[in-house]
Amino acid sequence: MNVTTLKTKAESQLREQFDAAAEKLPGTGWVSALRARAMDAFAAEGLPHRRVEEWKYTDLRERLRDVPAPGAATAKTVTSTDLDRALGPFAAIDAERIVLVDGVYSADLSKVSAEATVIELMSLAAMLEKAPAWLEGKFSSNGGAVVALNTAFMSDGVLLKVRKDQDPGKPVLLVHARTATEPTALAVRNVISVEAGAKLTLVEAHVTLDGAARGALSNIVTDVTIGDGATCDHIKSLADATASTHLATWTTKLGKDATYRGFQLTASPALARNDINILFNGEGGKLDLSGAFLARGAEHIDTTLVVDHAVPHCESRELFKGVLDGRAHGIFQGKIIVRPDAQKTDGKQMSQALMLSPDAQFSSKPELEIYADDVVCGHGATCTEIDADLLFYCRSRGIPPDVARAMLTESFIGEAVEKIENEAVREAIGTLAIDWLRTK
Amino acid sequence: MLEIKNLHARIADDGAEILRGIDLVVPKGEVHAIMGPNGSGKSTLAYVLAGRDDYEVTEGDIFWNGESILEMGPDERAAKGVFLAFQYPMEIPGVATMTFLRAALNAVRKKRGLKELTTPEFMKLVRAKAAELGVSDEMLKRPLNVGFSGGEKKRMEILQMSVLEPTLCVLDETDSGLDIDAIRIVSEGATKLRGPDRAMLVITHYQRLLNYIVPDKVHILAKGRIQKTGGKELALELEKSGYADFTGKAA
Repeated sequence: MNVTTLKTKAESQLREQFDAAAEKLPGTGWVSALRARAMDAFAAEGLPHRRVEEWKYTDLRERLRDVPAPGAATAKTVTSTDLDRALGPFAAIDAERIVLVDGVYSADLSKVSAEATVIELMSLAAMLEKAPAWLEGKFSSNGGAVVALNTAFMSDGVLLKVRKDQDPGKPVLLVHARTATEPTALAVRNVISVEAGAKLTLVEAHVTLDGAARGALSNIVTDVTIGDGATCDHIKSLADATASTHLATWTTKLGKDATYRGFQLTASPALARNDINILFNGEGGKLDLSGAFLARGAEHIDTTLVVDHAVPHCESRELFKGVLDGRAHGIFQGKIIVRPDAQKTDGKQMSQALMLSPDAQFSSKPELEIYADDVVCGHGATCTEIDADLLFYCRSRGIPPDVARAMLTESFIGEAVEKIENEAVREAIGTLAIDWLRTK
Repeated sequence: MLEIKNLHARIADDGAEILRGIDLVVPKGEVHAIMGPNGSGKSTLAYVLAGRDDYEVTEGDIFWNGESILEMGPDERAAKGVFLAFQYPMEIPGVATMTFLRAALNAVRKKRGLKELTTPEFMKLVRAKAAELGVSDEMLKRPLNVGFSGGEKKRMEILQMSVLEPTLCVLDETDSGLDIDAIRIVSEGATKLRGPDRAMLVITHYQRLLNYIVPDKVHILAKGRIQKTGGKELALELEKSGYADFTGKAA
């Protein structure tokens, strides 16, 4: 195959790492071929850079100078006590627990009590080894460079299905735990299916165990398919303190009358890029996406959405709130596509940033591409400081300025956090956000 | 006792002088009304008392119980017992009314050397006071003032006042935008707080609020100074003659 010459050190490293690892990665036959094709597709494009519109504000070619080696299974044993400590407020939630340690499924740490008639759970690595023909169709070929890298390198992940009309009754906590004491690169792929009429609350918690190295790179792709009339709540939490680079892609397809409520908390990675791609595949779909991104220092958090109203009578809502301190840069890009037939589309989007420092930066880029004529679509973006009138009001009640500022900042994020339906999950996310705000 | 001496204040941004030498004494146990036309400096006086930094005091001083409060921040003044009931109370989305009240009460109790209330003690206190003002449990759970009507917001101000137990209450146009029933509820709430240890300054444009909160003295503020002081009958006179005598032009 004719491939464009790779340009940067990181791009060459990725090729070398792939060539070295290909033999050891799970799967043969079509799986190997899929990985090789993905690597070639990546090589043709290279790392996305600022002249690629979707990556305008996050120049990966510039920022990713050195790529850590792919994570190898670590000898270190993780106890559930270690894990609970890392999970913080999530540990106490009554949930089905699925644990990936350094990108590899851990049967020991995972605890799933639901009947096999409700939930079907498989390790992706195990299935890649078996490589059944039906699995091949699960990996989309056109997700861009980051997804291509994920496909090339994916070590493990889960295949999770909630069967037709079933409801596990409690959240499923999917833990991405990092323990490696050397900086490593992880590539995890999750394939989630909520069958017709079923319900799922999926919480992806990215946690770091004590002693884990700084500067890790994670590339996590989660594909979600929601069947007709099914409901999926999907929450992601990343509260990092290890200067990591976090690339996360959600690709979700909604069936007829399906509901998808997504929430992402992104706190203090060195760099995070959250891609969310939504496709309405059946009429009557409802989408409610929200998130809070919290950054200080030189941290950089980019949330980029594409919501594709391919069919009529669907509703989409997005609310993303950022708190930016120091020289942090927050980015929100939200593209809404309304296809020619997608009449009666109802879309609303809002992104808001609270600036705690004059050197922080917020870039917001809404893009509406509307090809139908009978639709209601709106977007808004705001960028504000803490309101001096509100601060005075709080202080006039005796609340000291630092407490008042924290309270008003919490209140700012609160509007997004309140969208999380599950109370225990909402409280856990709230706790993590407040912890971040109170960390100086 | 509140003593305001030759108080001059201007807007920090543009330097426009609003208060031009106010002298005023409100002893403990008394309720004084400040009446005046629009633009006379009534709300500025309220904000300067509470410590809003949009205004700059250029001359004079304010003493509360013999201590100058000019250098104190708004929260320190609150701890000393100063409370301003806002003309336009602020909405704080995402902070439940109860949470806000608790943060405020604990902050002032701490500064006053009292111990924080336990959750049951706090709930009991707030519920009892809320019931008197017709503030429902549901309102207490909602984010502070968000979606409240004008009357509900004013009731919430009085509730905060009664929970924080200030010793100097400044009510800034508490009657504005309220119908007669709402004025009655709010006034009854404020009147309950009258007591020998508490001074109250009621700022209003109209006389009708003073039918419910009957003042010991009435001061007329115009052009940034107290123009006249009298008993409660002064308010009734004003109702007839208007403010023209004090502004130098027909009202």
